Amino acid sequence: MIDQSTILLFITVALASAVEAVEALTIILASGITRGWRSTFEGALLALACLAVIVLVVGTALIQYVPLYILRIVVGTLLLIFGLQWLTKAILRQTGFKAPHDERDIYNKEVTTLSEKKGILRGQRDSLAFAISFKGVLLEGMEVIMIVISFGLASGSHGQLGTAAFAALVAVGIMSLVGAVVARPLARVPENYMKLGVGNLLTVFGLFWMGEGVGVQWPMGDIFLLVLLAIIFVATLGLVAYFERVHKSQAEGRL
Amino acid sequence: MPSDKTLRALWKGVKSFFSFWKDFLVGDSPVLALGVIIILGVAYFLRRSAVLAPVSAIILVVILMTFTVWQKTKTRRRS
Repeated sequence: MIDQSTILLFITVALASAVEAVEALTIILASGITRGWRSTFEGALLALACLAVIVLVVGTALIQYVPLYILRIVVGTLLLIFGLQWLTKAILRQTGFKAPHDERDIYNKEVTTLSEKKGILRGQRDSLAFAISFKGVLLEGMEVIMIVISFGLASGSHGQLGTAAFAALVAVGIMSLVGAVVARPLARVPENYMKLGVGNLLTVFGLFWMGEGVGVQWPMGDIFLLVLLAIIFVATLGLVAYFERVHKSQAEGRL
Repeated sequence: MPSDKTLRALWKGVKSFFSFWKDFLVGDSPVLALGVIIILGVAYFLRRSAVLAPVSAIILVVILMTFTVWQKTKTRRRS
């Protein structure tokens, strides 16, 4: 039977991967359309292969050789930092203190920059397209694999590492398919709401595992994850409502 | 002995490796990373208390969240 923490794990990794996939897709589209698809795909595929190797080698080795409580402390701390970073940025964007993440704008800037550059052509390959695509996918993917490895490790089983990797693959696959069909940046994806959701989930899992790692006894065991989720969600809503009012009153004061 | 050029390249590589991880983990919110480390310490010291440990950890996370957002909005208001 699939328990609720596995379902939450799947949703968290899939959402985080989808957000990063949207950003990577923008870079791939800009590079492919301006510089050609062959080298762009090669760069993206090599980056994906590197990420898969990191998950397999690092994830498996850490599960086998590092004690579970240490993994939970390290992983929990990292997830809590990531989660709070995602949440802070998403709250600032939601309340108007930070400009929203505009995929179309990023795409246009990338296209302009790439069109201006000549690049070194080696045979039929474009080294610039390869490098841009490789770097883009690798950097956007790093955060995803950190999350995949963290979730796989903190649960202490190879099965959960597989579930986390599968969730990431499903999300990236769906986003790539949508990107290939529409062939333009996915500007309509409600990225900020997804980031708010992922930020909440990462914060909750991070706090839970970090606590378990140092020996905190959470009441009700794994079910307490849902209670934590509710608390952090309510706190997020409260912060969004309060800072939205602050931003509005400042804007009216300026007029 | 490796040449000066090799050592310089090696040093550059080590520096960019650490700067990548610093950027990745700390980013532009050092207070947030420090806050999480403090929460970890508090949770460790209170771990034997079944009530105090979870309650204080949750409250501290909410305080840290609020403080980080407030700090960022203050910086943005000034600029």
